[in-house]
Amino acid sequence: MLWIISSLVFILLRIAPGDPVDAILGNRANEFARESLRIKLGLDKPLINQYLEYINHLIHGNLGISLNTQEPVQVIISKALPASIELAIFAILIASFVGYLIGFLGAVKPESRIDFLGRIFGIGTYALPPFWAAMLIQIIFAVSLGWLPIGGRLPPGMSLPPSVTGFLLVDSILNKNIEMFFSSFEHLILPSFTLGLLLSGIFSRSLRLNLEEILKKDYIEAAKSRGINESRIFFKHALPNTLLPILTITGLTISSLIGGALLIEITFSWPGIALGLQEAISQRDYPVVQGIVVIISSIVVMISIGIDIAIAYIDPRISY
Amino acid sequence: MERINNVKNIIKLSSLILIVFLLSCVQNKKRETIIVASAGRIESLDPAQANTLRTLQILSALGDTLYKINKEGNLSPNLAKDLPKISKDRLIIDIPLREDVSFHDGSAFNAEAMKFSLYRFMKIGTLNYLLNNKIEDIEVKDEFLLRINLKEPSSSIKSLLTSVNLTPVSPNSYSNYKDKFNNKSFIGTGPYSLESFSSNQQIIKPFSNYWGKRPLNKGIDFVNYSNSNTLFSAIKTKEVDVLISNSIDDMQRVALNNMVKKGKVNSGEGDPIEIGFITFKSNTLPLEKQKIREALSYTIDRELISQKVSFGTREPLRSIVPPQLHKKESSPWSKYQPKLARTLLKKEGYCEKDILTIPLTFRSNVPADKLLALTWRDQIKRDLSDCIKISLNGVESTTVYKQLSDGAFEAVILDWTGAYPDPEAYLTPLLSCTKIKKSTCLKGEAVFSGSFWGDNQVQELLKKSEVLEGESRLNTLKNIEKLAAEGSSYLPVWLVKPKAWSLKNISQPEFSSNGLIILKNLKRE
Repeated sequence: MLWIISSLVFILLRIAPGDPVDAILGNRANEFARESLRIKLGLDKPLINQYLEYINHLIHGNLGISLNTQEPVQVIISKALPASIELAIFAILIASFVGYLIGFLGAVKPESRIDFLGRIFGIGTYALPPFWAAMLIQIIFAVSLGWLPIGGRLPPGMSLPPSVTGFLLVDSILNKNIEMFFSSFEHLILPSFTLGLLLSGIFSRSLRLNLEEILKKDYIEAAKSRGINESRIFFKHALPNTLLPILTITGLTISSLIGGALLIEITFSWPGIALGLQEAISQRDYPVVQGIVVIISSIVVMISIGIDIAIAYIDPRISY
Repeated sequence: MERINNVKNIIKLSSLILIVFLLSCVQNKKRETIIVASAGRIESLDPAQANTLRTLQILSALGDTLYKINKEGNLSPNLAKDLPKISKDRLIIDIPLREDVSFHDGSAFNAEAMKFSLYRFMKIGTLNYLLNNKIEDIEVKDEFLLRINLKEPSSSIKSLLTSVNLTPVSPNSYSNYKDKFNNKSFIGTGPYSLESFSSNQQIIKPFSNYWGKRPLNKGIDFVNYSNSNTLFSAIKTKEVDVLISNSIDDMQRVALNNMVKKGKVNSGEGDPIEIGFITFKSNTLPLEKQKIREALSYTIDRELISQKVSFGTREPLRSIVPPQLHKKESSPWSKYQPKLARTLLKKEGYCEKDILTIPLTFRSNVPADKLLALTWRDQIKRDLSDCIKISLNGVESTTVYKQLSDGAFEAVILDWTGAYPDPEAYLTPLLSCTKIKKSTCLKGEAVFSGSFWGDNQVQELLKKSEVLEGESRLNTLKNIEKLAAEGSSYLPVWLVKPKAWSLKNISQPEFSSNGLIILKNLKRE
């Protein structure tokens, strides 16, 4: 699968119009300068040679060197990926808390006011354009109220701590820098809240629907007829059975978020992997685009396998 | 019921704690350094690689150039001790250097260091063709005397020596980077030294051994945001002290200008260095016909477009060189004359039965280009709908640049910023051509600019201008522009002035002749 993806990315990038040499030199460099750079970057070699070289490097764990900055792609990814993961983790926590709570309350009291509002919330947040919601939240909480910073990962003037894990919250604790911990947390609130809020709609809807379906099952009716306490039916019999689809949805959402939430990263100037990918595409920085896609694909594959294993562990009916 | 009340109380208490926590997070510390914000990331601090205004901006504070252009538009020594001495045959330039300059790593600046930096640029610089086309070799005549031997006489080389790309770097610190880029650090001679670098944030501090006038501030923190909206919000909330205008949308420029009028922020403006224009491909029909191109040049209402697209923040332009570089008013392109356009087009057989269709390409990732295209199309629909029809086509900028020299675009909206403040830095990239057949350029810069327009007289005058100086040189360059206006393969539209806004407690931003803010003059008041 990874081989197919990496080959596809390689081919599609070469088919796409535009040239990294133009992106680096601008449109006014003379032919000699262009040709020299093309040779220097190895773009003068036949495409098949470039492909074989790329696959050979990939097999040996070498993602190549950025055409634009001459920096190893691994280094570029290792800087950007933790920012996206940090954002994804917090967004998922918020989305899970808000979404599942609303979905749960709606399922407990179907057709009640809270259920009705929860459904509107679910559809509303799902339908909201992310860039619009992000800008609105930014204007309210950062510009008008001034409670939180506009964007970025740290306040201007504060240097990044020596990187241990790449996760600012963790690194600031490891460096015993409490001020940085609070600053980075403060910068994380708006983007993760926005992303979490937008995702919570899917979570609430999926929990609500799954729970509603399960509550209509025969074994629930049977439990009720045996006089088992309603909350026990809910927590012991119904909720565990909704776990499987919920786990799948959560897992897939995490995978897509690690790939980056482009519009959120752009709006909040969050230096994550999606912003890096967007810039690399516009600069036709082939190795960076290829590297990022391969890494993201690998993570998605690993998470999918992880979910399958977890489902098999939770549900005794499933075996591989 | 009691349980529900308890839950409500817990929620209320949690909310209160959260709000108090958030408010406590808001920083109220007094800033000492000045925070300057611009759009886009900085991936490299190597002057050999720098080609964006934001990178040149920070490099201008970290490094010095040999010469500067003063307010009167004349060359003035900076790292050089005196003006360059040019031999009679105009092939040798001697540059005496200052003797009291040191690099940020403590090593001394001398002719060897300057030679090292120039050769390094000529070897790996992304814009190295600017020097390679002109310089034969460089010699160290004395510890503080540099000699440049030229391939042929070049008057523009002096202005080229003001380019930030040619700022010297320390040979000691760059010994491992002779033929590769040093992206993450910079060791130069400038008023500031680099304290920390990441692609989103750069911190610079005053250099204690600086030879010249010391910075008036305690350091500059550069922050790079990814979009115009965040930049605008950042100055509005006082999160940053100074905002640089590159990549600020026109709507937000207007809002910032309104804030200036209300006394909420200061603003500073530099001489314009960026021109916006439309290129017509002159080697295929129908635009192969000069009269049709000329007719099109009468159809654009620059004042209207400036107002509609930028609320007047972009000045209408009728030349392909920023006016201050001419030193005198010069607008060789005609004003808006739809009647004359109609007459010319009628002579070419349009307006009665046939309608001239022009596919106009704009860079889809440049909002102002799209607005210009839409406005011009509607303006033509209003005034000349029986003669011309503009069809629009948005293409991403990297693709546009790649396909310009392939002749993919009949008409395309572009912009250009000269690498140094000299008319030649605008005329040569648009007009120079080394192989001409009839009026078509087969090889040269005119091919890369997508016009394919070649004129032997222009080439002769460009060559002649390199051996002239002063007024006669400027007049020659003006004549070149007149010929270009007659050829009508370019249609200048507007001029963009570099601008910066600062908070009220920060001094008004001042600009150098190359459109960069003089950071050392920023002061917290």
